[in-house]
Amino acid sequence: MESLSATSTAGVLLDLSGVLILLLAFACLASKLFNRYVVYYGAQSVVLSFAAATAAVAFHSAELWILAVLTLAVKGIAIPVTARRLLVTRLALKRDAAMSTGLSTSLIAGGALTAFAYLVIRPALLPHGTVAAAVVPLSTAVILLGSLSMVVRRHTVAQLIGWLIVENGVFLGAITLVATFPFIVEAGIFLDIVAGVLIMVVFVSGLTRQLAEASAGELRELRG
Amino acid sequence: MTALAVLVALSPLAGSAAALAGARARLAAVAAAAGAAVALGCSLALLVMLDGRAPLFGWDGFLYVDSLGGFFLMTVAGVTLLAAVGSIGYIAAQEDSGELGRFQVRLYFTFFGLFASLMLAALETGNLGLLFVLVEASTLASAALVGLEGRARSLEAAWKYVIISSLGVTIALAGTLFLFYSGSALHLGSNLGLTWPYLLAHAGALAPQSLRLAFLLAVVGYGTKVGLAPMHTWLPDAHAEAPSPASAMLSAALLNVGMYAIIRFLAITQARLGHTYPRAVLLFFGFASIVIGALFMVRRGNFKRLFAYSSVEQMGIIAVALGFGGTLGLYGALLQMLNHAIAKAVLFLSSGDVALRYKTREAGEVSGLLAAVPVTGGVLLLASFAVLGSPPFGLFLSELTIVRAGFAGGSPVFPLLLLALLGLAFVPFARTTAGMVMGNPPPLASPYRDRAAVAVTAAPWILGLAVLLVLGLWIPAGLDTVLRHSIAVIG
Repeated sequence: MESLSATSTAGVLLDLSGVLILLLAFACLASKLFNRYVVYYGAQSVVLSFAAATAAVAFHSAELWILAVLTLAVKGIAIPVTARRLLVTRLALKRDAAMSTGLSTSLIAGGALTAFAYLVIRPALLPHGTVAAAVVPLSTAVILLGSLSMVVRRHTVAQLIGWLIVENGVFLGAITLVATFPFIVEAGIFLDIVAGVLIMVVFVSGLTRQLAEASAGELRELRG
Repeated sequence: MTALAVLVALSPLAGSAAALAGARARLAAVAAAAGAAVALGCSLALLVMLDGRAPLFGWDGFLYVDSLGGFFLMTVAGVTLLAAVGSIGYIAAQEDSGELGRFQVRLYFTFFGLFASLMLAALETGNLGLLFVLVEASTLASAALVGLEGRARSLEAAWKYVIISSLGVTIALAGTLFLFYSGSALHLGSNLGLTWPYLLAHAGALAPQSLRLAFLLAVVGYGTKVGLAPMHTWLPDAHAEAPSPASAMLSAALLNVGMYAIIRFLAITQARLGHTYPRAVLLFFGFASIVIGALFMVRRGNFKRLFAYSSVEQMGIIAVALGFGGTLGLYGALLQMLNHAIAKAVLFLSSGDVALRYKTREAGEVSGLLAAVPVTGGVLLLASFAVLGSPPFGLFLSELTIVRAGFAGGSPVFPLLLLALLGLAFVPFARTTAGMVMGNPPPLASPYRDRAAVAVTAAPWILGLAVLLVLGLWIPAGLDTVLRHSIAVIG
């Protein structure tokens, strides 16, 4: 596994995709509409699949090509469409009111986490001048932003999208850092995500039926 | 040998197959128990065949079983057997009373088998990426068990469980990623390079900075599954809301699988970075878990929550034992895992009987167990004392070993703190269970169909207690050998 330099065409494209993915994570954090969550997640996955395709060209890897196609099909199309049909439309979700902090507070926290990701990852870990040194802090920031949106939002659908964004962040790190996860493992991760989304959709629907509003903020029965 | 290993992972699916074919609760549970018995037998056979020889290695390292893996296979298969036999009475009684519909029964056994099979498979792979895939899949399979009863409370618990564990395991994936990255110098292009025996053998070439980060992320990530504080928040809810045999599986099998993953990372990290850093991390999370577990046990209420917080505490003890390290510490940790698994399985299974008879899970509403149902009451009391580390049960011996390891490691502060916390945990736990066992019972109706069902329900408790008693008095030579080989693997 050789590292790409940051100034090669593929390096620049990967860097650019990383920035777009981070911006879309911010957009999701700043949004209040369920529709938008799904759209931003879908857009992020499309950019991610473009990044995987770039890495596939750079590393001459057939497996990465398959992953790029899978990402586009599963995360870019199938999951957003399913989430929209089964959750947003069917449960008539519109505005997300269940937040534990204001939007501006969570955006400032998001900015702080991004800075933190750069501070922690950049200096010691990665050799200077490689594309990994540029993209891994971005992917760490995406992981932190996804976790943050899971924390500040109490609605189950928003938490589900938050988890998927974390997953995207890990995947972005994987294609720049390792680029050679065995294919069986990558396929297994995809299967897990699909199964996870399905089982979570079942729980969200069940909770909505039981509670009228499936907000984890309402989930207060089990404490202590 | 490969066939044997495959059989271990696949045989629990017998219960799933029976359920999918439309069997009722009793038949499906018997199939699940038979499958688990085969798995246990095969894992014991594997251990015997592995004794002192080279580990089983196949399919580019996707299949890898050494003594450590074999030891965990035996533990998980044993717990699966106890829980499957426990399901015969418990689930059938719930089916008869109409609390569970046909569909729910089918769902239960399908996912019970899948859950067990995925955990066993996770213990049999040498590839750290595949380990993540299987652990995450086992989370999803068990989430269906937690939410089985379909009430708002159980769905809430299942949601918390699936979302927190999935996030945790995803963080462990990031840790795995940094571990692979730390091996950049090794050119880990092939499947083989990503297996943990290869990484352990070439630990000297790993980059220390990213290895540090990898270990921390792995402990946080897999620690979420283990229930280490402060990532334990899903655990009490899931354990309280799942059907009792499923709670036994979560507490006695799943938590150990998470700990197994941490031990694999620990071995690699220690080989490169020495002991100081990983031990500090484990001691921190370990003591945090013991304190949180002990404090939350004070609250009276749902007795399954009490047992769940005791699991948090016990996992903390095991993490502390790993943190003490040395031969003694590792020996104590592994022995404690086995003992805790059996004791907690017995506790959760017998608490299922209590819940069926009293139709409540609140400790305050249960009294006179010893007078009403002497077997259940006696088992609950003995198992409680076993879990709390009283002699003559196995946990006394393993906790003693752990404390000795602490003193052998130098500073007496940590082992003394551990002893104090163990004492602190004893009081609220014993108070609650004693309250349930003593006093006058309300009028109760037996939930079981006949006396045979009662006997089958009680069989795993008695068996488990007997094993605990034996392990408290005497460590069989075979087990001792397996433990020593496992310690040699960790290093």
